Amino acid sequence: MAGLLAAGLAWRGCPPDESPEPRVSVEASPIRGGQLVASIRGEPRTFNRLAAVDQTTDLLATLMQGRLVRVNRATFELEPWLAERWDSSPDGRTHTLHLRPGLEWSDGTPFTSADVLFSVRAVFDPVVGSAAASSLKVGGRAMEAAAPDDRTVVLTYAEPSGPGLRLLDMLPILPRHVLEPALEAGTLADAWDATTPPGQIVGMGPFLLREYRPGERVVLERNPRYWRTGPDGEPLPYLDRLILEIVPDQNAELLRLQSGAIDLTNSELRADDYLPVRRAEREGTLTMVELGVSPDADGFWFCLKPEVKRADPRFAFVRTREFRQAISHAVDREAFARTVFLGEAVPVWGPVTSGNRLWFSPNLPRYPHDLDRARALLAGIGLEDRDGNGVVEDAAGTEARFTVITQRGIGYYERGTRVLAEQASLVGVALDVVPLESGAMIKRLLACDYDAIYMRPLASSLDPAGNPDYWLSSGSAHLWNMEQGKPATEWEARIDALMREQARALDPLERRTLFNEVQTVLAEQLPVLYFAAPRLYYAHNSRVRGVVPSVMRPPALWSADTLSVTDAP
Amino acid sequence: MARFLARRLLFACVLVLAVSSAALLLTRLAPGDVTAQLGAFAPREEVERTRARFGLDEGPLAQWGGWLARAARLDFGDSFLYNRPVGPLVLRAAGNTAMLGLTALALATLAGVPLGIFTGSRRGGTLPGLVRAVSLACLSLPPLLTSLAFVFVAARTGWLPAGGMTTPGAADAGWGAWVADVAWHMPLPALALALPVAATLERLQAQSMGEVAGEPFLLAAAARGLSRRRLVLRHAWPVAVRPVCAVYGLVIGALLSGSFIVEYVTAWPGLGRLMYEALVARDIYLVAACAATGGSLLAVGTFVGDVLLVAADPRVREV
Repeated sequence: MAGLLAAGLAWRGCPPDESPEPRVSVEASPIRGGQLVASIRGEPRTFNRLAAVDQTTDLLATLMQGRLVRVNRATFELEPWLAERWDSSPDGRTHTLHLRPGLEWSDGTPFTSADVLFSVRAVFDPVVGSAAASSLKVGGRAMEAAAPDDRTVVLTYAEPSGPGLRLLDMLPILPRHVLEPALEAGTLADAWDATTPPGQIVGMGPFLLREYRPGERVVLERNPRYWRTGPDGEPLPYLDRLILEIVPDQNAELLRLQSGAIDLTNSELRADDYLPVRRAEREGTLTMVELGVSPDADGFWFCLKPEVKRADPRFAFVRTREFRQAISHAVDREAFARTVFLGEAVPVWGPVTSGNRLWFSPNLPRYPHDLDRARALLAGIGLEDRDGNGVVEDAAGTEARFTVITQRGIGYYERGTRVLAEQASLVGVALDVVPLESGAMIKRLLACDYDAIYMRPLASSLDPAGNPDYWLSSGSAHLWNMEQGKPATEWEARIDALMREQARALDPLERRTLFNEVQTVLAEQLPVLYFAAPRLYYAHNSRVRGVVPSVMRPPALWSADTLSVTDAP
Repeated sequence: MARFLARRLLFACVLVLAVSSAALLLTRLAPGDVTAQLGAFAPREEVERTRARFGLDEGPLAQWGGWLARAARLDFGDSFLYNRPVGPLVLRAAGNTAMLGLTALALATLAGVPLGIFTGSRRGGTLPGLVRAVSLACLSLPPLLTSLAFVFVAARTGWLPAGGMTTPGAADAGWGAWVADVAWHMPLPALALALPVAATLERLQAQSMGEVAGEPFLLAAAARGLSRRRLVLRHAWPVAVRPVCAVYGLVIGALLSGSFIVEYVTAWPGLGRLMYEALVARDIYLVAACAATGGSLLAVGTFVGDVLLVAADPRVREV
């Protein structure tokens, strides 16, 4: 169910081919000690990664907890983490992981395979109801875990899995000796909530919780028992203290970054912020880094749920692909990128952008800006401007006029819908834009109580197998027609079959071929129209060293253990 | 006096009940709810669990009734955003807001009232004209603009912290260091809050002074040869301060119940910012608790205003 999340968690990809390699602010011999101040927008609701999947919880889990393997956010490679190596069976179902010797929890208790077994049991426990469980299931079923000895774990998937061990990047390893009583009592989902005294939270991450002041900050201290060491053989992390200031307003966040009150943020810059940040970079206070093309693009789609829309006379033409193709031809993507993202964007033709280098296909059907072609497509399905009012209508007089809802207060959404409405009007399709507060928009989205929507749903995974809810017709994030009992169209049935096949395939080339076919079908049918993906930029204080920026979130703190500052005491 | 206090207490109770109930019901009836915070495509089970936890699976009236019954036992429910009981959260935020509000009130009073006496007691002149112009400018500028401008200047110059209430680790060095650190963070939000209030008080005081200036009792006092200073401060001002006292209670209430904009922009962890976040997230019990606290502080403010008015105008005591 995790599918696509508005929060945009976990795996994102590498910069695209045309993007520069990430600039790493490396210090030859990083200075140990000192503190770094980062900003977060939201409060931590819990310190228990099993209980929530929001960005702040995910960040805190990254900083305070360990995992068996890690997907490197800069290279997208799978790296050994608490497990130092592994062996996989030829059928891709069984994985034997060997844990590093001598590891300890932050309270000094030895880390063993029993902790891994406990974590697997906890994440799939129905009473816990962890939102992370669905991302870890293979073929809809939980993995099985066994421990032949203290340092070996054998994980068995229900069926072969293309992503393989990458799934384990989402599994936080929790201390059995602390949390087992809560699991037995059925209260694990409430354990380690936001009121828990810091001393009770035990982890294997680089930092430990020292203090949480609601509305102000979270203070983390170096974990003296953290297992990683730097190139000099000395233990990481370099920093003594990491402070997460809670700054909900993005304007205030930028000003505090410019003033040096915070060293780095946990989100990319907005297009509107590039100019002041470039100025600060020239002054030497900030370092600005291009991350690459966003792996996500804004989408525009109509509700195509026949059960809801059948009685609407406009559904007769909205359901045809020619109608959607006509809109795609009507939009000048270059102009769209210039206007909506102030030039810092690239045209896109599907949900997988060039920011997702591993899965991007450059050979999809494209719809060049061509108003005559758009008008011809509309005429082909009986839509013409019969009464001369500038809006096309069918033979029965039903106008192609729609209300587009989008989220209020987000600059690029409002600019995007405005440009889209202007360009669609050139071929006689009238779009009336209604910005809504996010809660109201989500309510209407889930009930299919809308004509059309414009928003950017963020993929929870760059690997398509990690986003089944978007691709499968039964998915809860199958935007245009969610949770179908059986595929409503032949092409959706085709995509279902291809996606299932590629999720089981072990050969990367075969997976890519299958997924290219999926993308081609989607680009032909256009249930969702994509126009441009922004280039992402990130900025941090120039005193920070060791930043390996990633197009994934968090852009810098994913490798917090190797960050340092130049003016540590 | 006892009847006056009893009447005020009853008014405060009704105000708090009405404001908090209205806040709860309006938050409930507005489109969308707190489950939107889980994301557009959150698991259905998690959405249902959250709805049940916050009483959203009941009808609005049933939820309101249940909330009232629990509130009578001082259980005001949990916050979704902070995942903890709302009581301690709101008290802490109200304390921070009170600290900021009282500082702003002191600044506004110390600047606005004397300046109002000054401009109101002079018919012309460059300086009074300048004060009037600045007052009008402060009244016209929205707090969002002044807050952002102050934060911008602080960020560019480094003269003051660009936001927040404390520096990380300030409390480690003891209470004295903490107080000094809070005082270091105070000027920016306090000025943003105080400027429009000072301008209001200045304009009100000046207008009132101008009206009193022509009264016969002042002409008589002047005829007795009193100095201008004595005439203004001992005779005119006690009469002219009444309209200021009348609005002072509302000003106190407004400042103590928090400013959405100023606290949000300057990242001051007060009641206004908490209420704003709660409203945006539809965090229903947090909205109700913030509204109840804001209502209580408004009642306290109007009470203080009434007491000041009674002190300034003996005729009110006889009503």
